[in-house]
Amino acid sequence: MDPVSKVSDYRKLEESVTLSTVEGPLGASGSDGASTELFTLNMGPHHPATHGVLRLLVTLEGEVVRDLKPIIGYLHTGIEKTAETKSYWKVIPVIERMDYLAYFFNSMAYCGAVETLLEVEVPKRAQYLRVIHMELNRIMSHLVWLGTAALDLGAMSMFWYCFRERETILDLFEQSTGQRMHTRYFQIGGVIEDIPVGFAAKLKYLTDEMPRRITQYEALLTKNEIVLQRLRNVGVVDEKTLLGLGVTGPLLRATGNPWDLRKAAPYCSYDDFDFKIPVGTVGDNYDRYRVRTAEMRESVKIIEQAMEGLPEGPHITEDRKIALPPRHELATSMEALIHHFKLVTEGFRVPAGEAYHPIESPRGELGCFVRSDGSSKPARVHMRDPSFVNLQSLSTMVEGSYIADLIATLAMLDPIIGGVDR
Amino acid sequence: MTPWNPGEDVIAVQRGPEPGGAGGAYRSFGETLRGLKTTFARVIEGTNTIQYPEEKVPVYPRFRGRHKLHRFEDTGLEKCVGCSLCAAACPSDCIRVVASENDPENRVSAGERYAAVYEINLSRCIFCGYCEIACPFDAITMGHDYEMSDYNRSDLIFTKEMLLAEPIDRTPLRNEGE
Ligand code: SF4
Ligand code: SF4
Repeated sequence: MDPVSKVSDYRKLEESVTLSTVEGPLGASGSDGASTELFTLNMGPHHPATHGVLRLLVTLEGEVVRDLKPIIGYLHTGIEKTAETKSYWKVIPVIERMDYLAYFFNSMAYCGAVETLLEVEVPKRAQYLRVIHMELNRIMSHLVWLGTAALDLGAMSMFWYCFRERETILDLFEQSTGQRMHTRYFQIGGVIEDIPVGFAAKLKYLTDEMPRRITQYEALLTKNEIVLQRLRNVGVVDEKTLLGLGVTGPLLRATGNPWDLRKAAPYCSYDDFDFKIPVGTVGDNYDRYRVRTAEMRESVKIIEQAMEGLPEGPHITEDRKIALPPRHELATSMEALIHHFKLVTEGFRVPAGEAYHPIESPRGELGCFVRSDGSSKPARVHMRDPSFVNLQSLSTMVEGSYIADLIATLAMLDPIIGGVDR
Repeated sequence: MTPWNPGEDVIAVQRGPEPGGAGGAYRSFGETLRGLKTTFARVIEGTNTIQYPEEKVPVYPRFRGRHKLHRFEDTGLEKCVGCSLCAAACPSDCIRVVASENDPENRVSAGERYAAVYEINLSRCIFCGYCEIACPFDAITMGHDYEMSDYNRSDLIFTKEMLLAEPIDRTPLRNEGE
């Protein structure tokens, strides 16, 4: 079947959806009349349980999901195309808005790719500051996942607890970067400002507090009978299928495969830190929950080590062709002023070439591909977003299970639609 | 199967008990009570919510809110010289600057030229602060106000007069290091 007619089949199917049942639309089987009656249902795009503007075309047999097609694109913002029309440093605030819960990771993948092309050395202090902010971001993203996933299972108080801790982290971001979300803190060659006075003390408070809080979350959820019934042995997919689909991150690690780019291909000084990779065994929703909560604990450890060993030195590269000169030089040095004008109006030129920089985001491998034609604007920017790839595995996870389990599985999959549609 | 061996760096997470059965019957009570204990123990920690808008969240010194244009304190002249660097740096193209020559009799700014028109379309602004970084004369900075909603999109286009004026409602500010 050619793709065009496949699409129109979908259109026909959509239009035929009424309150009565649809007869055998997608190759239903079974000899007795009742079981061949399938029902096609639109879940979303405006549905609170789809975690964004995601639409699922679900074919049901009674309460059992027989077929599922995610329909995406409702949040398409054309960010990749927008990035082609902007100079390199102006792409950063734009690209951060793709996966809106992992903004530090988005800019890290992009900055890493451009730094590879430029062959610029990032100072050690900047790398450590990046690690601190990325790991805080990972905890923050997992907290949003935990709160909303528990809400989907009916546990209301978890949501408030998680958002309370998230608030503390966002406060830290506001203190060091000036904004709670989409901070444009990472710049090519380092970070834009050093951390302010008082940041270390607040961070210490958080890293001391966080393990205790995670224990409290686990006291509420881990052995709760409802949680066990809803999560254990639900949405099981084996490692091979996931690898075939290209799924990475906590979903893959829940099956027992320890693939984590922070260890497998260390970037940004991650090899300086001592942390473990939590893995599951079966690959069901319960393992996904345990892996992510264990990851939060590991992130806390990384932050503590990074803050402890934070080296002195510059926070951004000294290369005046790439980084803006310090503000106080503008009033005194003509040369600094010329560099400033040049960088702000035109930006720097990047040697022609291609680079791909993969990092481990809270959802898996987030890679940024940048192609440069030698000008001051990228010729192509593409993100390999883990949410997009991971979403494909949803139908294998839920086929044959109940529609209530579909909600739980989608929550445990943790797709961010901003990253899926870009 | 795995081409890469992480060695000792892996910890397996616990599986947790199988649901249902006698253990399930126990957990329905025991673990639920344990959960309730966790919840009730939080009561003594007090509330975290604040009564917005009566009470406002103080912002940190680096917070980037609504923009402000500045004047020299001694002469009262505008700092902005209409060089359009901020407009060039803006990723969302929301600044419009039209420069014109200063009249030596009646100066508006300290430089040769001044901004005859200076508009920021706040409905497009993403509060990245690149304009503040770009301005070589500290003429534009990001203020601390975050209450900017309005009923009309056209009211969100801030003109030079609005940006030069002090905001009506001041947002509380935290001290450095607090
Ligand atoms: S804060 Fe950013 S988006 Fe807003 S006006 Fe300044 S440069 Fe433009
Ligand atoms: S605000 Fe600054 S950068 Fe913008 S036009 Fe005025 S002087 Fe130039």
